[in-house]
Amino acid sequence: MPSNIEEPPRSAVTSAGRDAAPIDVKAAAEALKYGPRGALLVSSIAVGLLFLGWLAFYFLLFLPRGAIG
Amino acid sequence: MAENPNPPQRDLPDGLVPEEIVVRSERRWFIVMIGMLVVMMAVIVVTGMGQALHPPSNVETTNPVTLHLGGEFAESNLGTAAEPDGSVTVRMIAQQYSFVPSCVKVPAGTPVKFRLTSADVIHGFLLLNTNVNSMVVPGFVSDVRTTFNTPGEYRMPCHEYCGLGHHGMWSRVVVVPKDQFPSMTPIERTSCAEQ
Repeated sequence: MPSNIEEPPRSAVTSAGRDAAPIDVKAAAEALKYGPRGALLVSSIAVGLLFLGWLAFYFLLFLPRGAIG
Repeated sequence: MAENPNPPQRDLPDGLVPEEIVVRSERRWFIVMIGMLVVMMAVIVVTGMGQALHPPSNVETTNPVTLHLGGEFAESNLGTAAEPDGSVTVRMIAQQYSFVPSCVKVPAGTPVKFRLTSADVIHGFLLLNTNVNSMVVPGFVSDVRTTFNTPGEYRMPCHEYCGLGHHGMWSRVVVVPKDQFPSMTPIERTSCAEQ
């Protein structure tokens, strides 16, 4: 299969023009000056919901059903 | 020449986020994760010890070849039996592809002990909307205890794949009001057919 080593491989999404707007190094450095806060927020929400779900299942379902051993 | 509106994405260099920010973020995330694990373990240990929670761990053997010849799991002894202490014991046999008996009745608000064994291969049983859940292994007796607080019908499927007819292997436990149970005959307790 012919390939051009000059051009990096591009995904179908990229070639369709639906990728995020390109950002230059300075803008990226400015956005990440205090760390990846957005990623931390999203992951905190996801993990927090998982944790609350576990507690809800344990206290609202498992314990009221009682011991079986 | 017009500028390409979608120029190729360039990889950003490492080191964009200051080192101390990275270290601080990872340390905080690690502390939060450890904290969550500690809370979950504490909840399990405290409630488990406080309420004596543990999985069914009965190790009691039986001979699957001679189940039908006598003893606890002889046909005449299957079904629901009232114990002198007021509790109830349900004895059932799991076999390809049914539980025997296929329906039992137990009283609400009463400790119920399920004792099951298998006549052939490994089966399992659970009661929907309860914590009852155990494997049924040939040669061993599964002993599971629970109390049904509300009358109703509880489906009891086999949850351990046991062969081609596994999907049709299920039983029913009908929980009747506590005051109604003593007046039932032994036949009524092990059959859900209308008398």
